[in-house]
Amino acid sequence: MRSLPLLPAICKWIGLVLLLPSIYLATHDLNMFATRSTGRNFTNNNLSDEIGLTGVFIGLLFLAFSRLKNEDEYTNHLRLTSLQWAVIINYTLLIVFTWILYGTAFLAVPLYNMLTVLLIFIVRFYGLVIIKSFKRN
Amino acid sequence: MKNTLKVQRAIVSITQDDLAKAIGVSRQTINAIESNKYVPSAVLVLKLARHFNKPVEEIFQLEEDD
Repeated sequence: MRSLPLLPAICKWIGLVLLLPSIYLATHDLNMFATRSTGRNFTNNNLSDEIGLTGVFIGLLFLAFSRLKNEDEYTNHLRLTSLQWAVIINYTLLIVFTWILYGTAFLAVPLYNMLTVLLIFIVRFYGLVIIKSFKRN
Repeated sequence: MKNTLKVQRAIVSITQDDLAKAIGVSRQTINAIESNKYVPSAVLVLKLARHFNKPVEEIFQLEEDD
């Protein structure tokens, strides 16, 4: 049975290790709206948040799409349903926040939205895998 | 789709773990099939039938709403 193309299992740990310093770097000096001054002068833009955010994205992707120790068609199924679940929840939240947040408060929504699909996916998928591993009858 | 996997397993007295190892899937997969939470692929169904040396219909049957 052909399974989904996934990264090797070790990438899960690489992702986790990458995630911690990246979160610090991304939140420490978050300056997304750095204005580029005239010409090609980048000196007034600190790159730590760009590097940090890239690290967070790659870390989350590695965590989400690396093989499990015992990967088979059932984990494939869990993976796909979790992904569907994550997209639906993500957009439900977006609709809710569109209606309850206005003005500058709404600006934070797309900021968090960059990560929520992957975060919800990871929480649900690994949650299910851990719960199932304890089930026995 | 319902199945008699648990019964078949009891007849030859093997655990979910043993069956999973023999077929090459995880124990969670066998557990999910037995508790009707997951409909296995045709490949896995045929592998299970071959393992128990029985026709597929004896292990897996359609339900009315299928």
